[in-house]
Amino acid sequence: MSYYDLDSILTDGQKVPTTIELEVPGLGYLDNAPGRPLKAGTKVDLPLWLSQMLAVSAYSTKHIADLEPPSCLAPRVMNALKADPKSVDIRALSSHFYEFAVRILELLDEVLVYQDACAVLMETWRRRAAEISDHASNAGQNRGGGGMGSTDGVEFLRGLDDSERYLFRAAHDGTKAMRSWMGEMTKK
Amino acid sequence: MALPLQPGLTPTEVAFLCEMETVTVVPRQRLESLPLISGPTPALRPPHRSPLPLWLALLLKRQRRANILPPPWLHPQSLDKILKYETETSPEGFSPPPPHPYLLTTRPASTDTISPPFLPSSTAGAPAGYLPYHWLELGEILLEACPDDLPDPNRIRTQLRDLREVRMAKIRHRTKDLEGGGITSLRGVGAMEVSEGRGFIVGVMDGIRKLGSNREVARREREEYEGGEGGISDEGEEMEYE
Repeated sequence: MSYYDLDSILTDGQKVPTTIELEVPGLGYLDNAPGRPLKAGTKVDLPLWLSQMLAVSAYSTKHIADLEPPSCLAPRVMNALKADPKSVDIRALSSHFYEFAVRILELLDEVLVYQDACAVLMETWRRRAAEISDHASNAGQNRGGGGMGSTDGVEFLRGLDDSERYLFRAAHDGTKAMRSWMGEMTKK
Repeated sequence: MALPLQPGLTPTEVAFLCEMETVTVVPRQRLESLPLISGPTPALRPPHRSPLPLWLALLLKRQRRANILPPPWLHPQSLDKILKYETETSPEGFSPPPPHPYLLTTRPASTDTISPPFLPSSTAGAPAGYLPYHWLELGEILLEACPDDLPDPNRIRTQLRDLREVRMAKIRHRTKDLEGGGITSLRGVGAMEVSEGRGFIVGVMDGIRKLGSNREVARREREEYEGGEGGISDEGEEMEYE
């Protein structure tokens, strides 16, 4: 992960539910109470980079903040992914779902059932990748045709997160280069 | 900024490399031996067949000085056989590559490491029924350059397209049971297919590696911990013996 990697920067900006364990003066506006101190025990959504730093740092033996699994990694979502990875709109959960999940798993390995979530995510990635490649190799061929099931594909492709979009692009570029080479061969 | 160049070879580059393959030509005119970097070409005397690199053969063909003899595996019957193997005999795996022309023995020889395009896998003497490394690009190039030398060019063209579809579907299907280690085997997969599938396969493997990375770290830590324990107990035993 490079320092200049835009995707990792955007992943850093994803919100995580965090419980503040310490009263912070002057930060009340985070909890819709401007001008007042942020009370201990308040739950606020903080970006990952901030809550991560707060969670790992300690103030005289006390943790400053406590992380909770975000809604996009809730058991409900995990069950849906286990049941049918292709029907879940991952983009609605998070625009950088996989990277975000990896970062959260790093931090919360005891909270989530760790191995299981990892296995579910890998299986999801694999199953969706196969679907992506099928769409990528057919994209642009029947433009304007709009036959059976084409709306289904649009629905699925809209639900891809960013890393899956890169994958789609890579798969599509390979097929496109190949097709243009073969087209050149027959045209000459 | 990312480098705009894609990793790996583009189809055009693969086709360029394929032009180094040796094919058999039937010359129509005499031509003395040419001193090329890769070695002198045989002197052409019609109507004797001689092996030539594909690029030279294409040049002579374009000037109507020679005819190219298509390799036996590019015959419709041979392609039919391969297609049948791909779809019925082994719907999971790829059809095997041609056997190595030089006998492989237990004793290492200098011929063991010769690989395409320096193997005579596309000459008139090549075995039928096997797809060599450069099958797709060689087939396409020959279809474009010398359809009059092929037995049934239209049928061959559709057969090549069918083969490509079947095999690309297999490559894509294989990613479903990918583990972090990578694809189990690419035996029999051609250069052009690798070039086409590279972006996707590398992307999938990259994603799996990222997702599995912290599990991997945890496993390594655990192993290290256990290994440390073992080391300590070994030392203890040694102490006892002493």
